[in-house]
Amino acid sequence: MADTGDDAGGDAASGGDATDDPSPKSVVVPVEPTPTLRSTVAHVVESAAEGDFSAIHFVEIASWRNGDPLSDDRAAEAKRVLERVVAWAEADLDDVDGDGGEGVTIFSELIGADEYLFGPSDYVEVLAAYAESVGADAVLLDPEYTPVGNTTLLQPLEFALSNTPLSVETAPVSRPSRGERLRSEATGIRFAAMFGLSLAFYFVLGDPFYWFDWVTGLATATIVSITLSRISLDADPAIPRTPMRVIRGAIYVPVLLYEIIKANLVVARVILDPRLPIEPTMNRVRVIVGSGLPLMTLANSITLTPGTLTVRARDSDLYVHSLVPWARDGLFDGSLERWTRFVYYGRSSARLPTPRERDDCAILQGEAATEELPIAATDGGQTGSESEVTDE
Amino acid sequence: MMDAIATARVGLIAVFALLGLFFSFVSMVGVIRLPDVYSRAHTASQADTLGAGFGLAAVALTVGWEGAGFKSVLLLFFIFVTNPTAAHAIARAAFEEGIVPWTEGDDRR
Repeated sequence: MADTGDDAGGDAASGGDATDDPSPKSVVVPVEPTPTLRSTVAHVVESAAEGDFSAIHFVEIASWRNGDPLSDDRAAEAKRVLERVVAWAEADLDDVDGDGGEGVTIFSELIGADEYLFGPSDYVEVLAAYAESVGADAVLLDPEYTPVGNTTLLQPLEFALSNTPLSVETAPVSRPSRGERLRSEATGIRFAAMFGLSLAFYFVLGDPFYWFDWVTGLATATIVSITLSRISLDADPAIPRTPMRVIRGAIYVPVLLYEIIKANLVVARVILDPRLPIEPTMNRVRVIVGSGLPLMTLANSITLTPGTLTVRARDSDLYVHSLVPWARDGLFDGSLERWTRFVYYGRSSARLPTPRERDDCAILQGEAATEELPIAATDGGQTGSESEVTDE
Repeated sequence: MMDAIATARVGLIAVFALLGLFFSFVSMVGVIRLPDVYSRAHTASQADTLGAGFGLAAVALTVGWEGAGFKSVLLLFFIFVTNPTAAHAIARAAFEEGIVPWTEGDDRR
């Protein structure tokens, strides 16, 4: 399964092999950096794993024309978006490993850059031509997909698509908001796993040879699994994935402890020695791990290591505050990201370029800043932090 | 032989307890010295990770291989899960309030 993903990644990077695979059940997904892109990718991979599609073509339709001023920059940006989408899709495929994720191949392509596109009908034309060339008969739309500037194109695009032989569907996803993804479906396996885990924990604290602890333990485990099995687990535990993750997690713990001790010593030195300056900055890192538990593991590991503190997570963008340049460099080298990928997806997935090599990181403050700080109320913040600082 | 092991154990307990004290002290100094809410959140997590970590390791060594020692390891595990969550919640609340992190050259110090 991992092989399929890797091969598809290679194809996608070269962008050429798409036409070699005229599979009858392919789906074309036009992509653009929208708030719902991540969940749309997750949705299409899920449907593919359920057997709806055997190939997924992610396409970016160029709203510019080759040779325009800045067209190279925009093409490079579009390629980056496509690479990220492919990485997400592969991570999601890894997640559904064993449930039919094997036969799915992923392609990505930048199309329409050799002409100007004006209205929805132009987009549909390009999209339909591409779908025909790869033998796809379905289109899945991201609900927030608006290729032309800020106009809401989706309705006309869907309408224009209905005049083609393609079947059109809009991904049933909504904008990411608080509380979304917090609850998943309740299944028997999840309930049983939660029940077993809480009962085992109860007996670690109690006495498994005392009848009274059995009564209270069973009652407690029932209440816990009824209330929490839909919140704590977002996927069914599976053999061999879940035990493998636990084993690899056990390998990760000493590594993390070593990192924590190392970083603690550096930060302790900076704090105790007044001659050593601190250089705090806010940074952004785009990480390639699945949403949910893997992202939480990575963000928590970053925060546990002194010197780096995860402040926000927006989709796969982590906003991390770093105390000293040493900690920031460590963050941009991405060793914790690779370890998290190792824990959740295995050793072959852990080999990936560092965020620095991928150009997925940015410093948001200070002299080396390359991006603006996306803060809500900048001047309001000044006064807010004033009161925070004056108690020195 | 048994005496040597017992002495080594007491020595190790003392070392762990002192290390725990040291990192808790560093953390306290950091909270007083550092300039803003974000950098203070960094150092506050130090007290939890290594301060409490070494302290609990000393406790586990003292009580030995029985219920309480095992529970102190579990305690450490839960501290390691909840501490970054709390630090993140504080930092995120500050960020959403629009508090700009202090950087070098900022005269708000």
